[in-house]
Amino acid sequence: MTSLPLQDASTDVRPRTISRKATGVDAVFVHSIRVVGATVLVITGGVGVFLGWQALPTLRRYGWSFFTEASWQPEADVVGIAAVLTGTVCVALVAMSIAFPLALSTALYISEYAPARIKSILVSMVDLMAAVPSIIWGLWGYFLIMPHAADLSVWLDRNFGWIPFFDVHDADPNAAAIDISRYSFSMFCAGIAVAMMVLPMSCAVMRQVFSQTPPGEKEAALALGATRWGMIRSVVLPFGRGGIIGGAMLGMGRALGETIAVLLILSPSFEVKGRVLEIGGNTVSSLIAGRFGDASKSQLSALLAAGFVLFLITLLVNTVAAMIVNRSRSGAGTEI
Amino acid sequence: MIARASRTLRAVVTFLMALGCIAALPGAASATVYAQIEGTGSTWSELIVQQWIADVDANGMKVVYTGGGSTKGRKDFAQGSTDFAISEIPYQGVDEQGQADTSNGRDFAYLPIVAGGTAFTYQLKIGNELVRNLRLSGETIAKIFTDKITNWNDPAITKDNNGRKFPSLPIKPVVRSDGSGTTAQFTTWMDHEYPSIWRPYFGQSGLTSYYPKHGGLMISQAGSDQVMNTIKGYAGNGTIGYVEYSYPVNADYPVVKVLNKAGYFVEPTQYNTAVALTKAKINQDKNSQMYLTQILDGVYTNPDPRAYPISSYSYMIIPTGKDDPRMTTAKRQTLADFLYYSLCSGQTKAGPYGYSPLPLNLVQAGFDQIAKLKKADSAVDLTDRDVRSCNNPTFDGKNLNHNVLADIAPQPAACDKIGEGPCGTATGTSTDGGGEGDGTTGGSGTTGTTGGTGGTGGTGGTADGGTGSAPGAIDPATGAVVGGDPGTTTSGDAIYASPTELVAERTGDKSAFGWLAVLELLALILLPGFFVIALRRRRPSGHGGRP
Repeated sequence: MTSLPLQDASTDVRPRTISRKATGVDAVFVHSIRVVGATVLVITGGVGVFLGWQALPTLRRYGWSFFTEASWQPEADVVGIAAVLTGTVCVALVAMSIAFPLALSTALYISEYAPARIKSILVSMVDLMAAVPSIIWGLWGYFLIMPHAADLSVWLDRNFGWIPFFDVHDADPNAAAIDISRYSFSMFCAGIAVAMMVLPMSCAVMRQVFSQTPPGEKEAALALGATRWGMIRSVVLPFGRGGIIGGAMLGMGRALGETIAVLLILSPSFEVKGRVLEIGGNTVSSLIAGRFGDASKSQLSALLAAGFVLFLITLLVNTVAAMIVNRSRSGAGTEI
Repeated sequence: MIARASRTLRAVVTFLMALGCIAALPGAASATVYAQIEGTGSTWSELIVQQWIADVDANGMKVVYTGGGSTKGRKDFAQGSTDFAISEIPYQGVDEQGQADTSNGRDFAYLPIVAGGTAFTYQLKIGNELVRNLRLSGETIAKIFTDKITNWNDPAITKDNNGRKFPSLPIKPVVRSDGSGTTAQFTTWMDHEYPSIWRPYFGQSGLTSYYPKHGGLMISQAGSDQVMNTIKGYAGNGTIGYVEYSYPVNADYPVVKVLNKAGYFVEPTQYNTAVALTKAKINQDKNSQMYLTQILDGVYTNPDPRAYPISSYSYMIIPTGKDDPRMTTAKRQTLADFLYYSLCSGQTKAGPYGYSPLPLNLVQAGFDQIAKLKKADSAVDLTDRDVRSCNNPTFDGKNLNHNVLADIAPQPAACDKIGEGPCGTATGTSTDGGGEGDGTTGGSGTTGTTGGTGGTGGTGGTADGGTGSAPGAIDPATGAVVGGDPGTTTSGDAIYASPTELVAERTGDKSAFGWLAVLELLALILLPGFFVIALRRRRPSGHGGRP
């Protein structure tokens, strides 16, 4: 007769406790990675805290008028960022309205239409655009583009001057001798240079997302008789919607902070205006770059306060971008 | 001819002496150790400083200079981030806002390095021809830069140019957007000479380093070079800006001849600047922090017919503290030798570059200031560096009390007198005289130039071409220029006869016709629809009426 081996009462047989705690090498790895990850947060937070701390005396001194005052005359004790903020937004909007369609169509062409051989060349060319230093874009904009941009501005003013956006004060686009300097050094010219810097970034993000479109669905669309454009419209674009918005918003974030090219092209003036074709304007970052060198202590605080506001705005734009991208997760549109 | 020969001779001699000086320096260099020194500041004097830096580089002296404006220079020096600074105005003690503008306790001394005139350069085209001989009085300039005179056809400008008319074109003053010593010099002059124009505009009295911009057509740009770029740029027609004379000279652009107290319109050449500055008062109180800084009241009102009113000096600010944290023996030696070269041989280059050499008293005082470097550090070697061996073009070694330059400065031409002329000679450079008088067709008001085949102004042009090698040297009044002048004036008048501008439409028309066009467009789209609807409505009623 056989008997089952008796349970030895003394030995306690229980399943091994499962611990989610990493031990040994794993623990070291996890902790070091966590520290590295946390540094990013610490640095970003530190920038914010530093700027806020430096900005405090200015904000306390000028109060709300810091946000409503247009002129920046520290020597007359009048300091405000209303003009530079609108300028920043205008330049960024001009840049985006140029860069967005370009980036979108470039990304679509590269991922969907381009032959394999050209594809890699195009990709590296677009990446090369991102590698061109900002000062080069500034010089390019100043010497090569601005004369033609001014002509375009005249044309826009002549034909669309009734739109407040395209209006130019103190200049007659129909005059026999057009006062071309009223159309140069404008936010529009600066926006073109900034657009060239924004484009590669937006394009790279969009291209990445488009290339992740499930090939099965693309082929299915083609098999059902869709043209290539029909396939793109019904599959690629809905799938990549998150990437398109994300790329645009990332580009917007960069456009808001672009400095040297704007500093070079834009003739600084401090007035709240949306007339992008007209000479003059200023952005927060170019104001800081232009005035930083000869700023006294209180002026520096005022500049940093302006920087703090820009920091918050950029943070907001990027957060909204992240939220939009998360909400409309890539491919959501195709999963019916 | 004799004058020219002697001038060439002098040039050769100075060149040889400069060579000797440079040849002598390596001996000192082998004995001493140099270290790189860095400075920031004025863009007013940047061009000549960069030239000096290039010159001394061969002797092993490494000097790095970056412009950025006088205000930045003073600030950087005060923060101890540079070894020297260059500024047009001294530390102001307290700036307009009540902020400190001091050296933060760093010991320093002012040292004049170069003189020059703040010039007004402009781009004004008639047809396609650049005007090169504009003349303006100080009052007109002050009014232009305070938005009181806003068009080139203003009667005040016509009056300054003895009746010569300019086209109806808005004046766009180009000013500095950064803290600038040039702005400070210019506003000092306006505040002193035309307080009734300047002070209401500025809202207070005194000078400022930041030009106040009240909308209008004013364009602001950072740095002298950007101002120059804007004026000579494709969109520069109608602009006028203030920069050191060297910028328009290098860019081959004209400058305004400014009216002086004697009633002559003069250009800021090295001679006219030197003459004007003979009336500059220098703070001689050696114990004052402002020792050697300038008091220019006498310069603005100098009664000499050759004097350019807005002349001034530029200063270097050097650290003289014993335990200055940035300075070492090698650095002090480099600074001393660099300054020795700048004050002596380097000054020979001032004229051709559009500056004016320093007179003797300032060079001498400069040496006293350099000696402070040795006082701070006895290891600094200053042997063989004194005024006698100094090769400065404003004085000869024998008679140290004479400003040679002021002696040989030519008298202004008769056509430059108020109520005469205007002269046909070009300003800024002397490559092509009388260009604007060429080939006029007379009275048509159109371009009418014939590719520069010198008409009446040709004589003036050739006279100028002879001395064209030295751009700063104005051609002395020759009979040819004066003789050729009435011709230019009359033909010139013909061009500018009636610069009337015709407006494309009446002002009230635009919006009215715009709305009409919109209405018509709407009607074009909507009326057929309404018509169809009306027809359909009628038809059912017609059907209903039949049975």
